[in-house]
Amino acid sequence: MSTDAYKQLRANPYRPWPARITSITELTETEKLFEFRLIDEEVREAFEFDAGQFVEVSIFGVGEAPISISSAPSKQGFIELCVRRAGDVTSALHNKQCGDIVGLRGPFGRGFPFEEMKGHDVLLVAGGLGIAPLKSLINHIHDERHDFGRVTILLGAKNPSEILFRKQFDMWKHREDFDLIMTVDQPDDSWDGEVGLVTKLFDRLDVDATSTFGAICGPPVMYKYVIDEMRKKHMDADRIYVSFERRMKCGIGKCGHCGVGHQYACIDGPVFNYWEAMNLQEAI
Amino acid sequence: MFFRVMDKSRLPDLVAGLQTDFEVIGPVAKGEKFVFATLQDPDELRLDYDTTLLPPKKFFVPPTENLMEFETADNEVVSADVESSPRVLFGLHPCDINALMLMDNVFLGEYEDPYYKARRDSTLLVGVNCEPSPQCFCNSWGTDEVHWGFDIFLSDLGDRYFVSVRSVKGAELLDRFVETRDITDIDTADLQRVTAEFKASFPRHVETSQLPLLLDAKFDDAVWDELGERCLSCGACSMVCPTCYCFDVRDKLSADGKTGERTRVWDSCMFSEFAEVAHGHNFRASSSSRVKYRYYHKQWGYLSKFERVLCVGCGRCERACKADISPRVVIDALQKGATVR
Ligand SMILES: Cc1cc2nc3c(=O)[nH]c(=O)nc-3n(C[C@H](O)[C@H](O)[C@H](O)COP(=O)(O)OP(=O)(O)OC[C@H]3O[C@@H](n4cnc5c(N)ncnc54)[C@H](O)[C@@H]3O)c2cc1C
Ligand code: SF4
Ligand code: SF4
Ligand code: FES
Repeated sequence: MSTDAYKQLRANPYRPWPARITSITELTETEKLFEFRLIDEEVREAFEFDAGQFVEVSIFGVGEAPISISSAPSKQGFIELCVRRAGDVTSALHNKQCGDIVGLRGPFGRGFPFEEMKGHDVLLVAGGLGIAPLKSLINHIHDERHDFGRVTILLGAKNPSEILFRKQFDMWKHREDFDLIMTVDQPDDSWDGEVGLVTKLFDRLDVDATSTFGAICGPPVMYKYVIDEMRKKHMDADRIYVSFERRMKCGIGKCGHCGVGHQYACIDGPVFNYWEAMNLQEAI
Repeated sequence: MFFRVMDKSRLPDLVAGLQTDFEVIGPVAKGEKFVFATLQDPDELRLDYDTTLLPPKKFFVPPTENLMEFETADNEVVSADVESSPRVLFGLHPCDINALMLMDNVFLGEYEDPYYKARRDSTLLVGVNCEPSPQCFCNSWGTDEVHWGFDIFLSDLGDRYFVSVRSVKGAELLDRFVETRDITDIDTADLQRVTAEFKASFPRHVETSQLPLLLDAKFDDAVWDELGERCLSCGACSMVCPTCYCFDVRDKLSADGKTGERTRVWDSCMFSEFAEVAHGHNFRASSSSRVKYRYYHKQWGYLSKFERVLCVGCGRCERACKADISPRVVIDALQKGATVR
């Protein structure tokens, strides 16, 4: 792409950047992990993001869908997206092959306050696909592990086959620098781990409320219960971060679709701290 | 800003002059109503109009607009041309000029919208003062006056116009196309008198104090259920509103599926699927939650960002709504907490 085209792209936030799919990994029956490389070198090098931010994936003729970046900001040159087959765009993406070209716009939104979290303990709670944006944060913390205190990760899923990134986490379970606990609602014969909702795991957690940041992402019903547990551990409302999913069309605060109370999830979020979120109508 | 006085009989000179360089768009009669349309002849211009059916937003964000053309094989943008041509919007009322400035906050703020920007840059605005209609309540929001955001503004003093000039371009065009004279103390005094008469002639005032507080405190009030039961979810209120800007984005494919265009079309938070997300979860499934959201966003959400409410009191929604729902009705209901109406 010429510099001229680069300028046009910069000047028009609706215009997607062409990106090539460089690898596809099947995670479960409905989820795949895609790795993309932006084709233009200048764009690829300029592309920086925060954990928790998203891109709009564009497949011309089908449409666009907002997807959280799940690779770590510290890894540059490629972008990883973990995508569930949910409808038109996500199915079209699932049908693509390595080498195909799609469009990406972004990064958009406000991510997790990584710099602020440094020097503190972190408690991450993911339900189902909620691991996608949190994985970016986890990997980023991993890459700068010495800057953080205790890191606890709670993962919940309906059943063992729906646990995303299972291999990576199975490996991590034995590490001393991460406390990782997985739990499922419906165990099968292969499962020897925890059974029950992710909230159940809080009983045994020892949280230093003066120094812990929380980060939550999962299905809408999960937030209230996990937040209740964090509040019981006396964590401050403005240290608990949640990432919201709303319908999005533009990703840049114009189309109005993603309204949550008096904010827009695309530019004011998708990551909000709980103090902000509890003051938003219809948020939790 | 500088000021001139122009004889009323000179108006056609100005319009005809502008037509030599610009497409001139102004209010024209359509049956008993008025619409903004391109003037073929200066005489079509009806500065005595009450309100147009659709607001001027359609000239900046058209109901359907092509954002880019693409090719599907390589998922490639073929063109994303931003189209605009020199135009004058003639005869805008203060509320509609104020409404455009509210739109600017959204489209020209963070992530500037190049399509909107191009049209805004290539369009001159000529305002004119007005008389309130029964549905107007711009006085309640302070949008009955406008001091910037236009190139030229005409205030009717009976036999002449008091002309306020805001931009260099406006000054130049006035100079080129029409004869004017300096203002005198009499002109200024007349303008003040006309303004005072205008302010006194409003049929009503909507009490707007503590509105954000009321909206939050009465979030679960039964008022919303009553309004929701009445609302038809037709979206007419948003379509006619000069400050509603929500849109949907759709891809259209050619017959062979090889090329197509990405378009944006007006959308409304009053439509049932507006806030639906994956797996069928709908954040605003009930019509009461949608009516509530529209008002919540206009009178609290936008306010929290831009310190203005997203309504200019033009009364178009009140005229368009078959269920008699309007800001006046909603605010009244919130304040009285009683049965709506
Ligand atoms: C900030 C953000 C981050 C996200 N991150 C991820 C992620 O990392 N991985 C992932 O798989 N999914 C993610 N999603 C959800 C994903 O965007 C939707 O599943 C996707 O938009 C559905 O698009 P589609 O075209 O495939 O479905 P469609 O054919 O458009 O619709 C299928 C269903 O999804 C609903 N829908 C349409 N648009 C959205 C939307 N923007 N969000 C939610 N539902 C929608 C429709 O109403 C319908 O019920 C994220 C959503 C947001 C807002
Ligand atoms: S809400 Fe109604 S009165 Fe207010 S600007 Fe929109 S159409 Fe006009
Ligand atoms: S408030 Fe009135 S105009 Fe708006 S959607 Fe409901 S019925 Fe239609
Ligand atoms: S996605 Fe369009 S305003 Fe948020």
